[in-house]
Amino acid sequence: MIIGVTGTRLRRFEYGGWIAVALSGAAMVVGVLIAFGEAMSPGNYTNVQITWFHVAGAPGTFPNGFTLVMGTLVDPISSLMLVVVTVVGFVVMLYSIGYMHHDKGLPRYYAELSLFLAAMNGLVISNNLIEFFLFWELVGLCSYFLIGFYYEKPSAASAAKEAFLVTRIGDIMFLLGIFLYFSHYATAGPNGGWAANGFVFVHGTTPFLAPSIRGSSTLITVAGIMILGGAAGKSAQFPLHVWLPDAMEGPTTVSALIHAATMVAAGVYLLAVASLFLGFTSFDSLVIVAIGGFTAFFAATMAVVHPDIKRVIAYSTISQLGYMVLAIGAGFAMVGLYHLFTHAFFKALLFLAAGSVIHALGTQDLFKMGGLKKPMKLTAAAFAIGGLALAGIPPFAGFWSKDDVLSSVYSQLGAHPAYWPFFVMAFAAVFLTAYYIFRAWFLAFSGDRIRDPTLPAAHEGPWVMQVPLVILSAFAVGAGLFVFLPGFQGLLLGGAGVAGIPPAYGTADVFLSAVSVLLAAGGIGLAALLWGNGRVFSLADSSVAQPLRRLLLHRYYFKVGYDWIGAKGVYTVSRAADFFDRYVIDGTVHGLERMFGAMSDRLRRMQSGLVSDYAAYIVAGLLGLFAILLVVAPFLIARFGGS
Amino acid sequence: MTTLILSGFLALSAGLLAISIFGILTRRNFILLLIAIEIGMNAAILNFVYFAAFSGATTGLDGQAIAVVLIGFAATEIAVGLAIVLALNRLKGSINVAQAIELKL
Repeated sequence: MIIGVTGTRLRRFEYGGWIAVALSGAAMVVGVLIAFGEAMSPGNYTNVQITWFHVAGAPGTFPNGFTLVMGTLVDPISSLMLVVVTVVGFVVMLYSIGYMHHDKGLPRYYAELSLFLAAMNGLVISNNLIEFFLFWELVGLCSYFLIGFYYEKPSAASAAKEAFLVTRIGDIMFLLGIFLYFSHYATAGPNGGWAANGFVFVHGTTPFLAPSIRGSSTLITVAGIMILGGAAGKSAQFPLHVWLPDAMEGPTTVSALIHAATMVAAGVYLLAVASLFLGFTSFDSLVIVAIGGFTAFFAATMAVVHPDIKRVIAYSTISQLGYMVLAIGAGFAMVGLYHLFTHAFFKALLFLAAGSVIHALGTQDLFKMGGLKKPMKLTAAAFAIGGLALAGIPPFAGFWSKDDVLSSVYSQLGAHPAYWPFFVMAFAAVFLTAYYIFRAWFLAFSGDRIRDPTLPAAHEGPWVMQVPLVILSAFAVGAGLFVFLPGFQGLLLGGAGVAGIPPAYGTADVFLSAVSVLLAAGGIGLAALLWGNGRVFSLADSSVAQPLRRLLLHRYYFKVGYDWIGAKGVYTVSRAADFFDRYVIDGTVHGLERMFGAMSDRLRRMQSGLVSDYAAYIVAGLLGLFAILLVVAPFLIARFGGS
Repeated sequence: MTTLILSGFLALSAGLLAISIFGILTRRNFILLLIAIEIGMNAAILNFVYFAAFSGATTGLDGQAIAVVLIGFAATEIAVGLAIVLALNRLKGSINVAQAIELKL
């Protein structure tokens, strides 16, 4: 069934995006059906696998050898992700028909997008870590292609490279993490033999779940940190967050699909899977919580001042991913995935709405827009719905999931006081989130005219762009309410199967919810006050806040710092490598060359051309042969024995 | 009748081979070189005959037969060698091998 999904996707060719749309639509139907079936029978695992190769056991390593399998696994988590990936994938594919209409290189675009979707689906339904990693890399590759889609633009090309290299750091850590877990589970641990079985997530009909005791072995701690590193690279968590805002150089559709809904979610998915199947130590959990909470806040601050509509949304993505990481770190993997689920829809909605604006105006600068709500009613409404969902205003989707995140972390504060600062950060980010997203909304849509009169008159996109907005709006409103459906709850609960799930979703701590809603409302109010009705709020140059603004605009100078490190560090390493290359490798090579040159020079003189000389060599060789046969060989036989 | 011993004949062969090698190493005249090679070859052929004669009836006339065949080979070899001598003479106007050294590096 699942192979059918990826199979049809992989068989991509041809120009027409309609083929891609049709195939992704079919995949969506299949994906949703799978999830539906899974929801009807929670706790059901379907695992199909074939043996890829088998390594025979060597003494002292694996008693039974090591088998690597390729397979697909449908369980509650993967079917949840399948819904996200296929639905958003289909919607974005449809939207692309309108959005990308005037671009060249469309076959390339659809091929890459389809490959991405196939890889993403493969990743979601992988049944073992190795296969997971393969698809993970494939997804990263597609991301590189798509960010650099406008490869003539130097900024796009460099953004693609940046994204690739930064995520590569994470990938290497991920791989190291796999190796560490491998060496651990191969020999010891409650899941002994699990690694020898090729990291398959299930065994028969029982899932391999993480040991309930989160061991304190140093190895496992380090392995957990490594896995976190991989996830942080993919999900743009601090300190590997720098690539995501730059990734906005790609087409907006790509941003919506890859850098909002799916690929960046892969990191979160990895963390969730790891926490369920591998287990983290308490130290790991603390680090994960810290990174998640800090990133949620940190990214939100950067979004506050940015003038680029897409980058504001990009920062909010980083921030929201921070929430998910936070929840997983606190031990609530399924809460994190729940937020991922809702976030995917409203974030894709925001991106597509922004894309609709960009499509109409040809600019991404918020300060040039304004007054768009009249010509673009649908887009304005969609963006507002997405914004409300993001800000966490009930009953929109974001409210339910974000509240679950906050309240689940809150429930752990008693046991882990060290989580406090990160909880507070995440809470503060609620306010910032509401503020910046509505700042963007007011700047773009409110007022009565466009600020930059040179821009073309705004208009709505064709129907293929409007339909996705409507679909996603519906999800952004309703996805949070899914949690009240027993089937969906079963999906979340069944996926967990481990302790640490709040008793019921959607019934978060009332006081906490009230505070967060008030904060969000406050943020929206502030945005309305400063930017509403076409107003532009600008800080006085003398204001004490100016340096702060500059700091935020320059993204805390992180990129500059990384560039500096890159330039200096790489230069130093290169110098060392150059030295090594020049003197050690080249020295060896040239030395050998000179040696052989000298030797052959001597030998050359033997080639006199004189027949008698050659005859003499023959005779000398013969004598030598006799000497060996008569003297040396008998000696050796006498010395070492012979048959 | 004095008893003939094998080693005496082998010594004769060895002597012939030594003369041959000496000739090959020292002569520059191509024809003399060919003659020296022939001497060495005959030393080898003689060995076949000795061993056949001294091994009694066990091998029959095998050694002698091989000797006859080898004499035929030697004749063809000399024919080829003399052809080379003629060609060399036409090319260089001399049959001194010290002058035919174009193959060296």
